[in-house]
Amino acid sequence: MPEGKELYMLQLRRMMLIRRFDETVQTMVQSAELVGMAHVYIGEEAVAVGACTALRDDDYITGNHRSHGHPISKGGDVRRAMAELLGKATGYCKGKGGSMHLADFDIGILGESGILASALPVAVGAALGSKMQNNDRVVVSFFGDGASNQGACHEAMNLASVWKLPVIFLCENNQYAVTTSYRDTVAVENIADRAVAYDMPGVLVDGQDVMAVYEATVQAVQRARDGGGPTLLEARTYRYEDHSEGLNRILREPYRTEEEVARWKERDPIKLHSAWLIEQEVATQEEIEAVRNDVRQAIEDALEFARQSPYPEPEDLFTDLYSDPLPAR
Amino acid sequence: MASVGIIANPAAGKDIRRIVAQGRFVPNNEKINILKRVLAGLDAVGVESVLFMPDSGMLGRGALDGSNFKFETEFIDIPVFHAEEDSTRAAAHMRDRGVGCVITLGGDGTNRAVAKDLAEVPILPISTGTNNVFPSMIEGTVAGMAAGLVSQGVVDVRVVATRSNKLELKLNGDVKHIALVDLAVSYERFVGARAIWDMSTLHEVFLCRAEPSSIGLSAIGAQLKPISLGDGGGVHIEFGDGDGSVLAPVAPGMVLPVKIKSWQALNAGDSTIVTLRPSTIALDGERTLSLKPSDSASVTLSSDGPLVVDVNKTLRAAAELGHMRD
Repeated sequence: MPEGKELYMLQLRRMMLIRRFDETVQTMVQSAELVGMAHVYIGEEAVAVGACTALRDDDYITGNHRSHGHPISKGGDVRRAMAELLGKATGYCKGKGGSMHLADFDIGILGESGILASALPVAVGAALGSKMQNNDRVVVSFFGDGASNQGACHEAMNLASVWKLPVIFLCENNQYAVTTSYRDTVAVENIADRAVAYDMPGVLVDGQDVMAVYEATVQAVQRARDGGGPTLLEARTYRYEDHSEGLNRILREPYRTEEEVARWKERDPIKLHSAWLIEQEVATQEEIEAVRNDVRQAIEDALEFARQSPYPEPEDLFTDLYSDPLPAR
Repeated sequence: MASVGIIANPAAGKDIRRIVAQGRFVPNNEKINILKRVLAGLDAVGVESVLFMPDSGMLGRGALDGSNFKFETEFIDIPVFHAEEDSTRAAAHMRDRGVGCVITLGGDGTNRAVAKDLAEVPILPISTGTNNVFPSMIEGTVAGMAAGLVSQGVVDVRVVATRSNKLELKLNGDVKHIALVDLAVSYERFVGARAIWDMSTLHEVFLCRAEPSSIGLSAIGAQLKPISLGDGGGVHIEFGDGDGSVLAPVAPGMVLPVKIKSWQALNAGDSTIVTLRPSTIALDGERTLSLKPSDSASVTLSSDGPLVVDVNKTLRAAAELGHMRD
């Protein structure tokens, strides 16, 4: 596990990779190179990166519709991710999944789903497997404030607590489910408050501070590995862009003030982390710019790789739908 | 018009100590229950107006829901960012509006934010946080009655309130932060999840309250020099090998020996330069800022902290006046 400067710079790099990846996605949607839904993670990078840098490679994550930040944070390959978005055969799901289905079992990325809260029971299942196999792996399940109101969320948290499973429920509370403030739809001020009903610790953490999320996740992971059971972490964060690309074209009226957006942008996770690295003399401005340039190159390379890759062949349409051989009944 | 301000922090008591220690969890519906009792107390003694911080909308509105109090209520018109500055801004607004007392629901952090700009308005702090020293575990009903009596001038605030000490952190020449209980210097470089629970990360602490029955850094100092509200003075402790150790409840459910390198009593006005770099400053148990190598930082003990209402003294003074008799 990296620590010290190696950890801090890895966090910076992964946050920048997500930002650049999703800025590129925005451009691709605008130019119609990328079709279909795309939900960018810009503004929330510290949550996934803080959490995933507290995990081992063999630990698991599950994600949701805002689906690019989680796998990149876990060390996913931006080339295969970009190829998947463009529906290419070299993509993570051979081009059949698209933006909301990036998975890499080799590094514990169990995948995402566009159905709100549907990945939470999957995470609980993975945690049950980990406990039954006694293999010390923990699961972090990312979900949003909107998903926190789904029935599957309740079922997953309850069962995880009953069986004391090694899972961390990480609510990325970006405060709006599409355009609806969580303050209008969640009965408690903090989603972390709900933990008490599941007899697990509930912790509220600053989702714009990568080290805050990292530190809280380290402790929750330790508790899970020690057999202490699940934890509910709520990272209070903010989505700088609209829920999905193109949504602004159909919005009738603003759902948040310019002042609010500006205030959260002042707490940009990449700017905060970069400023801290410089102030603490951990890294120089030049080193940070070098990471930025390297990231820019990596995303350009990923885009080029994706563009040059072939589409899947029509005859592959029905491959990979079922495991082969089928599990015995 | 006798008015009281209420600043209730919905985020208090939700930090990482619920994982690393057995931190108490106070759900917001319990905070609403406390507020309902506070409001009943305020109403009973005849307070005419209650101002709420809008951030506590869910708490304040929840407490008012279905009630039929005689006093006027107002959610003050200030920008809300659901952050600590909301409490500071709300307190300053309430001060300017002439409230006679401010009731807080929260922990040491909430009260620190409120006390920053409250000047001479007395504060009545009800505990809903984790390692609380400044606020008290007090029944809401009697807290409301006491705040109401103070705001109406029924009792003499000079008799029933005590002035707290505070610690001032001067950064590059200006007082930038205060602490109401403790100011610690940590070896950690980052603020992170804020709370302090691992004593091996601490270099030194300054205390203006050292309560033997408290939890946290204050309890460590209490084994060397107990300091309660109104005692005056402070203590400065450096951690490490040198002068033995003290056994203290450092976090909920954690009683540990803590090594003391050296310690000394502080008097009001004493100032100490913070030399450790890299380091983080923790105010009342919460890491708040990382010090830059180029920062000049010093800590000064001040006797000019907020006025704190004593509920027992207030109700006793009112009883001795026969105020509640018919």
